[in-house]
Amino acid sequence: MNDVRTVDVSGLPPYDISHQSPLWWGQLMLAFIEGTMFFILIAAYFYTRLRMDVWPPPGDQFPHLLLPSLALVLLILSCAGSYWASEAAKKNSRPGMIGGLLLNLLLAGAVLVMRIIEWHSLNFNWKTDIQGSYVWAFIGLHTFDYIAEMVFTAVLLVIVLVGRNGPKQRMGVHVDSIVWYFIVLIWIPIYVTIYWAPFFAEAQQ
Amino acid sequence: MRRAALPGLALSLLLSCAGHQQSTVDPAGPQSGKIDTLWWSFFWLLGVIFVIVMAVLLLTLTRRQPDTEQELLESTHKPSEQTDSRIRRVVVGATIVTILTLFVLIVASVGTGKAIADLSFKKNPLTIQVTGIQWWWQIQYMSSDPSQTLVTANELHIPVGRPIQILGLSQDVIHSFWVPNLHGKRDLIPSHTTNEWIEADRPGVYRGQCAEFCGLQHAHMVLWVIAEPEDKFEAWMRAQLQPAVSPSSPDTQRGQQVFLNHACIYCHQIRGTTAAGQNAPDLTHFGSRRGIAANTVPNTKGNLAGWIVDPQTKKPGNHMATIAVNSTDLQPLVDYLESLK
Amino acid sequence: MIATQDLAPQIPNQAEEIEQLQRSWRHPRGVLGWLSYTTHQAIGMRYIVTAFIMLLAGGIEALLMRTQLARPDNNFLSPDKYNQIFTTHGTTMMFLFAVPMMEGMAVYLIPLMCGTRNVAFPRLNAFGYWMFLFGVLFLYWGVFTNAAPDMGWFAYPPLSGPQYTPGKRTDYWAQMITFTEVSALCVATEIIATIFKMRAPGMSLNRMPLYVWSMLIQSFMVIFAMPAVVVASSYLLSDRTIATHFVNPAEGGDPILYQHVFWFFGHPEVYIIFLPALGFVSAIVVAHSRREIFGYTAMVLAQVANGFIAFGLWVHHMFATGLPQIGEAYFTASSMMIAITSGVQIFCWLATLWAGKPRLTAALHFVYGFVAIFVLGGLTGVVLASVPLDWQVHDTYFVVAHFHYVLIGGALFPLFGAFYHWFPKMTGRLMNEKLGKLNFWVLFIGFNLTFFPMHILGLKGMPRRVYTYPTEMGWEQSSFIATVGAYVIALGGILFIANVLSSRRFGAMAGNNPWSADSLEWATASPPKSYNFEYLPMVTSRYPLWVQRSERAFVTGLRSDRREALVTTLMDAEPHHRYVLPTSSIWPFITAVAVSIGFAGSIFNPWYLTWGSVLSGLALIGWFWPRRPVELES
Repeated sequence: MNDVRTVDVSGLPPYDISHQSPLWWGQLMLAFIEGTMFFILIAAYFYTRLRMDVWPPPGDQFPHLLLPSLALVLLILSCAGSYWASEAAKKNSRPGMIGGLLLNLLLAGAVLVMRIIEWHSLNFNWKTDIQGSYVWAFIGLHTFDYIAEMVFTAVLLVIVLVGRNGPKQRMGVHVDSIVWYFIVLIWIPIYVTIYWAPFFAEAQQ
Repeated sequence: MRRAALPGLALSLLLSCAGHQQSTVDPAGPQSGKIDTLWWSFFWLLGVIFVIVMAVLLLTLTRRQPDTEQELLESTHKPSEQTDSRIRRVVVGATIVTILTLFVLIVASVGTGKAIADLSFKKNPLTIQVTGIQWWWQIQYMSSDPSQTLVTANELHIPVGRPIQILGLSQDVIHSFWVPNLHGKRDLIPSHTTNEWIEADRPGVYRGQCAEFCGLQHAHMVLWVIAEPEDKFEAWMRAQLQPAVSPSSPDTQRGQQVFLNHACIYCHQIRGTTAAGQNAPDLTHFGSRRGIAANTVPNTKGNLAGWIVDPQTKKPGNHMATIAVNSTDLQPLVDYLESLK
Repeated sequence: MIATQDLAPQIPNQAEEIEQLQRSWRHPRGVLGWLSYTTHQAIGMRYIVTAFIMLLAGGIEALLMRTQLARPDNNFLSPDKYNQIFTTHGTTMMFLFAVPMMEGMAVYLIPLMCGTRNVAFPRLNAFGYWMFLFGVLFLYWGVFTNAAPDMGWFAYPPLSGPQYTPGKRTDYWAQMITFTEVSALCVATEIIATIFKMRAPGMSLNRMPLYVWSMLIQSFMVIFAMPAVVVASSYLLSDRTIATHFVNPAEGGDPILYQHVFWFFGHPEVYIIFLPALGFVSAIVVAHSRREIFGYTAMVLAQVANGFIAFGLWVHHMFATGLPQIGEAYFTASSMMIAITSGVQIFCWLATLWAGKPRLTAALHFVYGFVAIFVLGGLTGVVLASVPLDWQVHDTYFVVAHFHYVLIGGALFPLFGAFYHWFPKMTGRLMNEKLGKLNFWVLFIGFNLTFFPMHILGLKGMPRRVYTYPTEMGWEQSSFIATVGAYVIALGGILFIANVLSSRRFGAMAGNNPWSADSLEWATASPPKSYNFEYLPMVTSRYPLWVQRSERAFVTGLRSDRREALVTTLMDAEPHHRYVLPTSSIWPFITAVAVSIGFAGSIFNPWYLTWGSVLSGLALIGWFWPRRPVELES
């Protein structure tokens, strides 16, 4: 028998659905990356605004607030679906996961529809002027993340529905919820910038 | 390493006897003078630090360790507590010296910056607007009296001893106004107006060059600043404010006709004639300038002929069109332009 | 089967277990197999080799530039060709060589040094490499079709905007950035996850090797800096392709904003390149002076401080733009203060060498060269931090001298030292020491010959980025010497390649630990098996291999019939749970192809972004779709 010490880890579980998992950290880093990008854009928006004498640029309508604000509320509510699914994943409850993911998708889908309606009401696009470029950059980038995340959630739902929900997939549901919280959270400063800044940072001739 | 001493020496030698055109260490004005003083303080202080660090580096190789230390190292991979605490004192000391040195350098820098700023906004400045355009300099002498505003190109005359405010603009991409004998550089940025104050202590001809990469011919965007005594400067100004000299000989008259009948007039202006183009250097007093095409080549008849016939050889990619001029028309044209003193 | 690591616990059925391990970790065969590798050693080597080729490409571009500048009014290169070449040189060196090389070394070394089997996200690792490779191919496709970028590696608008550089050149540059930034962000993410969660039991944070600290800090810097360059390059791309107005002065876009955003990335970028090199230096100094580092805590704190302060310096690239004086004063202070953090580290290394038993190997030669060159570069950096001085030497050859001193001295020399130090581990053979020392001297002399005269050129008024200069300026002599030096550097490069090639065939066998070094990578085979260690080591010291044999301990109980590693807690590295790692997979490659179609096509037609997204989405579904029954096991 060799004299080196050993520690036997065979009793440890082969996964952990929590912040102890490397995947959780990977997701956190992704949130930092995207968050930094959006914050730089927000700072750049206000830098630009400070250089302009007239804001919003002439011809750009002021944003309508009702629909986006309603959408924001619904968006925050959709987190409940993610939370439900994530807790169910930790407990390995298939109905819970299905319910949570479905709820999240339904609310997220509704918000997406509201967004698309709201876009059609804007009287400027990204080519019109610099405010247009920023507003549409925010909308475009956030919505891209949003749709990608909805697709990811939908695929997870399908995986759970066909019963292939092993520990790795349940980890995926937990991570999915964290991504969703990030997408909702990061929308708040963007929403304030796009929809409220034209009012509180208004400048006329 | 010991090689450090040699470069240091080489540097001082080279700088003391090198040609001084466009040199940062041959100041001819108060701003560049203060920067020059600051530079040499940094150079000697940091140079000494460099030599000390290199000496320590070399000593780590030649140093002999006592046997007891060697044995301790071999068995524990650590020197004695004594050695380490002695070294700790040295390292802490070195760190403190570093912090203090940097602090001194920060104060010196900020102080010099402030002293230079105090040279600005003096009374009775001469304000000159310099606009960078790919790849030449438009010079505009500003005045509250419209009859005293002058537009010229690529060459700047200034009176010795008077503060000059340079307003920097750009019509296209970012350029940078830099006449090292007089001051550091200031970028010329589209949609911004930058601001730099210069002053010449003594008469001289000072070379400047664009110092921000601005495209194909960034390398050939040169500027002359000619500092002269007040009276000579006034004389120059008066002459420049006059409209162009009327051609007196048949040859130069023919030359003027050639100019006015060709596409030159779409870009160039000669005040006093019908040529009023605004896209290229003003040629009203072209004959009095030292260089052609932002001083890419010296202003001689031969060079001018070559330039007109094919502007793309000496400055490929520049925006001047190649205009077909008959061989019989060329000489008179050159003579005319050179007569515009 | 016997274990390849130096000590291994004798447990029942060890031979069968090792055989099973070899099978689980075996690389798949064939071309498709090669495209599916997910082991970190393989991917690390791919990064290293590809980045090295980029170093050669950048070097050739430099030789072309120096040849043009050897004489005044030279016509070896037209202004257009020169501008393309100097832009491509800077772009290649910064984006395609320096950062990927550091990433590649980390991908190779970190799991070994931390005592684990792979990085935390092996398929993401593979994906990151393919994105890097496709970025290289994408840019160089542009280079070889007369569409090399030509507006400087930093691409300031309006020059880089649609009006002044029409055509595809700037688009190739801007989109290449996207490729390489995605790659760097993938590596940074997995390095952080690996270092935080997969260290050997007992390797608490204060027992991590300094190189691991360097990579941890550097990876966080990548996370927070890279998004800025994505924003900056996207400003350019969208202004150029879909008519936005982000940096269009006519519509309120500000060229200065671009500079702020770009340099917010650009300054941390150089520390992103530099910090891993500092880690190399620590590793080499400790191993080759055979003593513990002096001032471990100070070293760690200095690097952490370095990482933070680096984000507060960027305006020193903009001192000539006419910003308010008080702002400039703040950035002078911060730019000078960062010299303290670098200085502390230099002092600690000198102290270690002073009271150690330095063995002047080729690797240590490069460390000495690093100190000499980097310190000079750092001192000229202090000069540049001073606003009035910067007003004179900014955008001159003085700056070119400065950053080559800090980048080549501060990053490339340590990198060569790292090659000489870890080549035995990576290949199983030692490099030729004599040739290595000659290699060092040729590079050292060539480097100084090339770049020292540039300080003088800058002080004598020579601006940067000029394709030629007239005779009367007096710049000819120094320029000529610099060109000669460049060819000497090239000779140094050739010597290095010769040493690598001959040592691979004929070098002396290295064994597990030829340097009697301290860190975990030296506890296993050279080159390591694809699972690194048969039994993951546990550590009780900062210098795991320098403890008594009785203190050595190992982990047993990980399954060998699938790829498994151990997840430990963040602070104290206590075992927490087992972690199932994926086997080989073709999906990272397919996903990279899909994403690349989107990125590459989008500079010709923005709709490619949409199709690329759809394809990538499908590829990702394939990537994550559960396949093996073992995943259903609870």
